[in-house]
Amino acid sequence: MGLREYVAKRAVYSIALVLIVITINFAIFMVRSPVEMFASERRLRPEQIEELEIRFGLLEPLHIRYLKYLQNLLTFQFGYSYRTGESISEEVSSRLSNTLALCVTAEIVAVALGLLLGVVAAYERGKIADTFFSVFSVVTQGLPVFWIGMLLLFIFSYSLGWFPLGHSEPPEWAIHGRPDSYLVELAVRFWYLLLPALTLVIITVGGYVLLTRASMLEVLSEDYLVTLKAKGLSNVKILFKHALKNASLPLITQVAIAFAFTLSGALVTETIFSYPGLGMWIWTSIEEWDYPALQAIFYIVSICVIAGNFLVDMIYGAIDPRIRYG
Amino acid sequence: MSLLNVENLKTYYFTKRGPVKAVDDVSFQVEEGQAMGLAGESGCGKTTVALSIIKVLPSRGKIVGGKVSLKNLDITTIPEKQMKNVRWKRISLVFQGAMNALDPLYSLGDQIVEAILTHESKINKKEAMNRAEKLLQLVGIERNRLKSYPHELSGGMRQRGLIAMALACNPELLIADEPGTALDVIVQAQVLNIMEDLRRKLNLAVILITHDLSIIADTCDKVAIMYAGKVVEHASVSDLFEEPLHPYTQGLIQAFPNIKSRRTRMRSIPGSPPDLLDPPMGCRFHPRCPYAKSLCMEKEPSAQMAKREHSVACHLYHDT
Amino acid sequence: MSEDNVVKVINLRKWFPIRRGFFQALLSRKELFVRAVDGISFDVRRREVFCLAGESGSGKTTTGRLVIRVIDPTSGQIFFKGKNITSLTRKDIKPLRKKMQMVFQDPYESLNPRRTVRDIIAEGLRIQNIVNGEKEVEENVTKILEDVKLVPPTEFLLRYPHELSGGQRQRVAVARTFILNPEFVVADEPISMLDVSIRAEILNLFLDLVEKLDVSILYITHDLATARHMCHRIAVMYLGKIMEIGTSEQIVYEHLHPYTKALISAVPVPDPKSRRTKLIVKGEIPSPINPPSGCRFHTRCPVAGESCHQKEPELVKIDNEHYVACHKAI
Repeated sequence: MGLREYVAKRAVYSIALVLIVITINFAIFMVRSPVEMFASERRLRPEQIEELEIRFGLLEPLHIRYLKYLQNLLTFQFGYSYRTGESISEEVSSRLSNTLALCVTAEIVAVALGLLLGVVAAYERGKIADTFFSVFSVVTQGLPVFWIGMLLLFIFSYSLGWFPLGHSEPPEWAIHGRPDSYLVELAVRFWYLLLPALTLVIITVGGYVLLTRASMLEVLSEDYLVTLKAKGLSNVKILFKHALKNASLPLITQVAIAFAFTLSGALVTETIFSYPGLGMWIWTSIEEWDYPALQAIFYIVSICVIAGNFLVDMIYGAIDPRIRYG
Repeated sequence: MSLLNVENLKTYYFTKRGPVKAVDDVSFQVEEGQAMGLAGESGCGKTTVALSIIKVLPSRGKIVGGKVSLKNLDITTIPEKQMKNVRWKRISLVFQGAMNALDPLYSLGDQIVEAILTHESKINKKEAMNRAEKLLQLVGIERNRLKSYPHELSGGMRQRGLIAMALACNPELLIADEPGTALDVIVQAQVLNIMEDLRRKLNLAVILITHDLSIIADTCDKVAIMYAGKVVEHASVSDLFEEPLHPYTQGLIQAFPNIKSRRTRMRSIPGSPPDLLDPPMGCRFHPRCPYAKSLCMEKEPSAQMAKREHSVACHLYHDT
Repeated sequence: MSEDNVVKVINLRKWFPIRRGFFQALLSRKELFVRAVDGISFDVRRREVFCLAGESGSGKTTTGRLVIRVIDPTSGQIFFKGKNITSLTRKDIKPLRKKMQMVFQDPYESLNPRRTVRDIIAEGLRIQNIVNGEKEVEENVTKILEDVKLVPPTEFLLRYPHELSGGQRQRVAVARTFILNPEFVVADEPISMLDVSIRAEILNLFLDLVEKLDVSILYITHDLATARHMCHRIAVMYLGKIMEIGTSEQIVYEHLHPYTKALISAVPVPDPKSRRTKLIVKGEIPSPINPPSGCRFHTRCPVAGESCHQKEPELVKIDNEHYVACHKAI
């Protein structure tokens, strides 16, 4: 099996997963009729309910409804929110970009930091740096997200006043408009992003440190490392061109798994920092039983995880020749 | 002058439980174009000798005494930067079997080219690729295998690829640690044949490290037998097999079944090799030796010439 | 073949289906098999050490497992002391287990590191419910430790595997096997992980036990030199087939099959005066998924002719005890 076949295979798997997710989504939201939900809160009369059911197309046969649903989700048509009456697709795009900015930043920092500390720990095995990083990793991994979030918020925003207390941009922007300079806007957004991202980094970095350390130690004892040293290669080349590349393989798999974990961590973090991303939206939508919004969020989060996994599979395939022949 | 001269080499591993004296006062010489076998059981220190010569010991291992010189260059004391030019260019290493000695993430061609480009700055990548192709032909691998990754190659091909890579910079000395041990007997014989042909063709000196005495009998000019970090006997292959002097060598030769001999009961050496954290006093072989006398438990025998070109470290052959 | 056999195997075959992914299964209906063992017949006689020799991929290990019914054959028959055991159920096999035992290659992995030598050896006794009470267990274990020369037994009873040397461990593995008084033992490369200087003692231990305890051994190895000294008869396997069977003298000195010849000439000899003859076949053993047509060795055979490509040679009797499967040898 060549590279092309491998990519095609992963793509087919990913598309199949998307279809499965849509089907599950469809089934979940059949549990309680949305009209019934809508009606019970607004005390509608039976004829009004029937009119709604006709308007929403709920009286059509199941397979027609399923196909329409499939078509709408695949084209990102999520309808209108029960809560605000606004288009959900628009809200998805602004919320998603906030959440992705948060998660991707956190993930990149966590992986980079994890690699660095893990390599140092492996290289300094048994020495002070190793002990310190390992203990740090084990401890931070066990801490609850909300506690770290609140602690950071309390110290750096409330007591020291270095960072804003929440949100993703200054409230004045809504009134006076955004700053003219794009750079200033970016800097301010980053300032708002920093604490929630740090929260996510703290809970995820430990896993990467420990994993990098373990796989690096394993690679450093491999026979081919002796060959490379004997070939007269410099330590830097051995460490980064060969050892780290081999050691990163389990890490890449871990990133795929951890991305879903980071997203779920983001839900809690966003709520603490009142950060207007998918996480906070999920929270308010559940409280308000906003069916269309919830369906959209579930779908989008699933797509993110599937896309993230697909991406990771591609990277893995590019690095490891063995996987392409699995 | 010998090509390689190892004098009183001592290499210890410093562990939490104390120093492991893996190589303890080892001396031998290898002449140009000569094949020397270094034989012994697992844990006798033969691999550590190889790693010490090319100075790629793991971080806990240190050369604590003695001298290794390549012609008149003392490689034990030269700085690391100069040592990089000795590695592969003058001494190369085929390390422990075919299974894991190549990086699984790079193609065979890339790894050979990497060796060439590390040492020869005047060559561009394409020329290096051409040379890699020629090297593969030399060891009997088709050139389209250049792009193959290690997992796509059979054990025999990996082993031959490693030999091709070891010859990439025309070294004077090749150290082969257990070549072909994990391979089937026919493939192993193919690999040994290739090594022998190339050695004669290129006038290459070879140190063949193996636990298998029959391979040494088959391919080497002379041999050093190691036991528990020491060379116990050092002689030409014909002398050693004709008249082994050290009781350990005698035992080892008897322990090897000869397919061509009459059907007999094989003999083994009682006991097992010692722990090098705490080796026995005196001669390290005395607890297993059928001829041990009280002197052997007290005093360590030094290597002495018993005959011309045949040295042995055993009190049985000393007058003192 | 002789009637005095303990184990007899007729036309034994084991094809392992290749597991395929969902997509491959969709794309092609054709199932692929690894033909690990592809129609072999032999017998092991009373008090005989019978050797299956071959390179990796020859099917020798699979054969060993088939014979003691650890895995099920695809077709063919297996007889144990005249009784057909090919299709016995798991329950019916259990009483046979104590009579047919196996010694594994790796003395480091085949012993449970958390149990003492005594418990490791006594495990089989307890599973088979052979003894009454701890005292009898102790007596049995002590006796077998003496038999495998781990003396004095009291020194070894309460040790753990990590406190033993490699040779001692393999002795424990042998003791565990022989305490059940088996009549047939499969020994799969029992010395390949051991140091050279102690290999012979394990092999001699087997030979002593064969004499003393009246057992037969199926010895599986790639090492023809030890096989030659250890075994009465040798069967040379290649790609799931037996190429030649004979006494160890016949195989070493009077071999007729080109493969046997290649194999023997490739074995290095610990004697510088008789350096290896350079007759060596080319290439490596082909894949057992799609073995060559006709004689399986024809792709590498120096004397292969037209008939070898087309017709698979039968195992033909050449001499007393000597059988060979080769068009050119007859």
